Amino acid sequence: MKAILNRTKGDKVIWAVVLILSFVSLLAVYSSTGSLAYRMDKNASYFLVKQVMVLGLGLVIIYLVHKVNYLKFKKWAQVLFMISIPLLLYTLVFGAKINEGSRWIKLPVINLTFQTSDLAKLALFMFLARVLSKKQEVIKDFRNGFIPVLTPVAITCALIAPANLSTALMLGFTCCILFFIGRTQVKHIAMLALAGIVGVVLLFGISKMTGMGRASTWEQRIEDFTGGVKVDANGNEIKKEEVFQVQQAKIAIANGGITGRGPGNSQQRNFLPHPYSDFIYSIIIEEYGLIGGAVIVFLYLLFLWRSILIFRRCPYAFGAFLAVGLSITLVFQAMLNMAVNVHLVPVTGLTLPMVSMGGSSIWFTSIAIGVVLSVSRYVDEMEGKEKAAREKREAQALYGESEEEAEDEVDEEQEEIAVRALKNKKAVPAA
Amino acid sequence: MNIKKDIRFRVYVAFTCICLLGLAIIIKAATIQVKEGPELRRQAYEMHTRTAELPAERGNIYTEDGELLCSTIPQFDVHIDFSVISQKLYDANADSLAYCLSDLFKDKSKSEYKRMLDAAYKKKGRYVLLRRNMKYYDYQAVRSFPIFNKGKAYGGFIEDPKIKRVNPYQMLAYRTIGLWRENSQTIGLENKYDSILRGEAGRRIEQKAIGNIWVPLEGSEVETQNGRDIVTTLDIGIQEVAEYSLMHTLEEYKCEYGTCIVMEVATGKIRAIANLGLGKDGHYHENFNYALTPTEPGSTFKMMTLFSLFRDKHIKITDKVNTEGGSKIFYKRRMEDSHNVGEVTIRDAFAQSSNVAMAKLADHYYHSNPDKYIANLKKLHLHEKTGIDIPGERPPVLKTPKNKSWSATTLPWMATGYEVLVSPMRTCMVYNAVANNGKMMKPYLVSAIREYGKDVVTVAPTVVEEQIADEETIKSLRACAEEVVLTGTAKQYKSPFYTMAGKTGTAQVADMGITYGMGVYQGSFVGYVPADNPKYTIAVVVRTRRNSSAYYGGTIAAPVFKMIADRIFATGKTTWTKPVDSIASVTKVHIVAQKAPAASYRSIMNSMGIKFPLSVSDNLITQVSSDSNSRVVVTPQHVYTGVVPDVSGMGLKDAVYLLEQQGARVQVRGRGRVRSQSVAPGGKITKGQQIILQLS
Repeated sequence: MKAILNRTKGDKVIWAVVLILSFVSLLAVYSSTGSLAYRMDKNASYFLVKQVMVLGLGLVIIYLVHKVNYLKFKKWAQVLFMISIPLLLYTLVFGAKINEGSRWIKLPVINLTFQTSDLAKLALFMFLARVLSKKQEVIKDFRNGFIPVLTPVAITCALIAPANLSTALMLGFTCCILFFIGRTQVKHIAMLALAGIVGVVLLFGISKMTGMGRASTWEQRIEDFTGGVKVDANGNEIKKEEVFQVQQAKIAIANGGITGRGPGNSQQRNFLPHPYSDFIYSIIIEEYGLIGGAVIVFLYLLFLWRSILIFRRCPYAFGAFLAVGLSITLVFQAMLNMAVNVHLVPVTGLTLPMVSMGGSSIWFTSIAIGVVLSVSRYVDEMEGKEKAAREKREAQALYGESEEEAEDEVDEEQEEIAVRALKNKKAVPAA
Repeated sequence: MNIKKDIRFRVYVAFTCICLLGLAIIIKAATIQVKEGPELRRQAYEMHTRTAELPAERGNIYTEDGELLCSTIPQFDVHIDFSVISQKLYDANADSLAYCLSDLFKDKSKSEYKRMLDAAYKKKGRYVLLRRNMKYYDYQAVRSFPIFNKGKAYGGFIEDPKIKRVNPYQMLAYRTIGLWRENSQTIGLENKYDSILRGEAGRRIEQKAIGNIWVPLEGSEVETQNGRDIVTTLDIGIQEVAEYSLMHTLEEYKCEYGTCIVMEVATGKIRAIANLGLGKDGHYHENFNYALTPTEPGSTFKMMTLFSLFRDKHIKITDKVNTEGGSKIFYKRRMEDSHNVGEVTIRDAFAQSSNVAMAKLADHYYHSNPDKYIANLKKLHLHEKTGIDIPGERPPVLKTPKNKSWSATTLPWMATGYEVLVSPMRTCMVYNAVANNGKMMKPYLVSAIREYGKDVVTVAPTVVEEQIADEETIKSLRACAEEVVLTGTAKQYKSPFYTMAGKTGTAQVADMGITYGMGVYQGSFVGYVPADNPKYTIAVVVRTRRNSSAYYGGTIAAPVFKMIADRIFATGKTTWTKPVDSIASVTKVHIVAQKAPAASYRSIMNSMGIKFPLSVSDNLITQVSSDSNSRVVVTPQHVYTGVVPDVSGMGLKDAVYLLEQQGARVQVRGRGRVRSQSVAPGGKITKGQQIILQLS
């Protein structure tokens, strides 16, 4: 155990946030799966045990990934992105249908189901980090800068959209944040947004006209959010499932008060559909109150802030983009999910990363966190080395000894970036 | 601006935005709690909590000797929600389900049921009626059938429990017992005693728990109070014969309706009450409470006129009265007798039912002072309702000189039973008072209210008028009534076995849209048996249809009276408690006794001059035996330990108590009182032995 702890590197605060979120996840999942366990004729702790195992494996994944030199992800990102495209295509055609959207595929051999968009998202963010870092010189140029970064995003979104529009939109929006951070012209992003809106309207129109796809679901979600109430022939309000969901979530929030009803005392878990996934945040507020809800928000923001610190300290653009890109997308998803729970935005079907019950999605999140920690580990080690080198240089200066600098593992391109980055590094305080 | 700085600036912008989003989330959550909180929490309370009603069991109606007249049984309507049954489950079990249904109900073949199920399953009907009004045992069986045994969520089994009142004796005293239906008009005793029979529904607060089950909140319970039972004075044996004989006569003469009341003289208890009317289907039904509906009584009212005359000492029984050749004009209106009886004594005038005589006497003595006559009628409470304990009684109409419609002819006609409206029940009450030596009793139908087999309220007979007239008057009236049967209009119904007294009546009917000219008659006979020591007063009133061939009270009403009286004497029911010799016979050597209520033994032994042990309560079943010194010993039955007691006829609670005290395990089937027991009485009992009780 100690050996593992000793070998565990990277930002300690991020590790702590991950562990706390996992713990919250266990509490909330255990409390909210009672009804599901009963319905599925399972032991009450069945889903808790399952979640313990999923999260345990998630932590293992984080550990393993953070041990990898993040530079390797540069090549992997490209490969992963290339794989994700045909996988998305496959899913679109053959995928398992849940609520009419084809989102899942089953891996042969290991017999694991996962949502392809999760993989695609991760691949795309890592790939974007690479492209953005590479194109910094020409990023302001539309043809040479914007189009190359836009293309992978457009392809992925287009492939996800028919089955899962909200994920595609979320992904597009998150990528816009990444573009923004990556110094893309705001003008270009605005143009993209406009194109996106037109695209969505077109897709919606086509789906509605042909009766294919999920136009009706989308329409309903928007109507539900705007408070449009459908009335049947007898003048009764039609209680649609999602209106019901939102209403139940609000009741859970109202039930919670400031300090909550206490662990395991949720009542709404028996009424709220899927209290363990999309609406787990409502259950957390019901049991732990507004204070508990605020703590969750704070934990995610803390995670993001620590990632930004890593970003600031990272000398290389790829690592910097990787750390900030992956964490910002993760936290943004969390914020969106919580916003859905408190009825700030329409129902989108996003989970709360690391907290909602799940399998593969938690593991993809784990990979993302692992990557961020890998960058963090690298930064720590590099700064350690720098410090050592500086001390060495100072010692050499003192004692007049000389030794060759050994930075063999950095290839030419990185060196180039590193040098460029180091030029601007004056503002960064030495750790 | 250098690249790194620009990027960092942009990251800060993004971070700030996300922080703001986080802030917005918390603010929104707080807004929901504060702004919509109360309403949402109210909704939550409604969803999580409900007040469940625990319905009370409706009480039963018994006769005094423990026969069950009316009880409640559960029934079930079953619907099937085919949409929740999975294809796999259906395919695997549809055949066996069809077989089970066909086997249980035996009304359709297996393949017919299968076709029905297939059709319903194809349509995915969500509320397909399987069967209505299933008995509890059938319901239990159906619930265990394949598919249905998966419950509501997977097997689509939806049950709607209902309760139904059943009358084991069906039509018997149907109108009197009444009807009780949910959300519908109630009548009879069911209506009158509803507050007692109904009980008080309990309530409890329940909270929703995991798996959609409702868990009662501890301490929130308001206990259910089951309805109490009522014990009617009705006697099944007398009721049966009353109904039978009335029906027989009605059918024979094709009458419109008839009513018949049997009242116990000493107490006013109604032992039988029958109300039969011709239904649209040509059969007679208990369709209206004719016994409580005032009509012009006709000649039976002459008793009241005589009562007045005797009471005021205007006449004596042997005084002569000239009937004027059977026809006399009073104030320009002619009164006629059905046949001329000449100059006769008062007694014979009554026995022959001379209208002229009665009208003449009344007019002679009361013309100048009609109030005196009315006052005497009021002494008989003819201006009031009887106050019997069933609903639907209408007030009588007794004119007084103050009424606008009072005319010179009112008095003579009233003397013969017209221009006055009196219900058969009221007439019966007056005759009963005469039979009861002048003590007028209030008729009643419920003698006790019972809770868990114990009488909690006992209704004592009510005296309306301690003494309606002096002894002389009563004696004269009874002599006249006896003469009716001895030599008068009912002489053909004389019995060689017992004496009886009464009065026939035949009235032309002019009410409910009928006029005197239409030839509708109301024949009646009211009297009591036996004449010398009256036990029962019986009133029979029969209304004919238009232009019926038979209409005399002596022809259509007196036979009903006679049949009932015959039956009462044949079964020895001259006293209400069972005849002593039906329980025990005493010889010089020993007593042979069978089980009977302690109360019966008390009366036997008291009459034999043997001391009855005070320690034995009236509710315990006792046996009498003689000990070695030939002394009579009364033993409560439960003293016989180790022996199976005879519990037949007992209420369930008592029976179970007795048996379990002996160490038996009791299993119960059915409802009501114990009909039979699986181990015969007197056999040796082993501890833990199972005894099955069949209740009825």
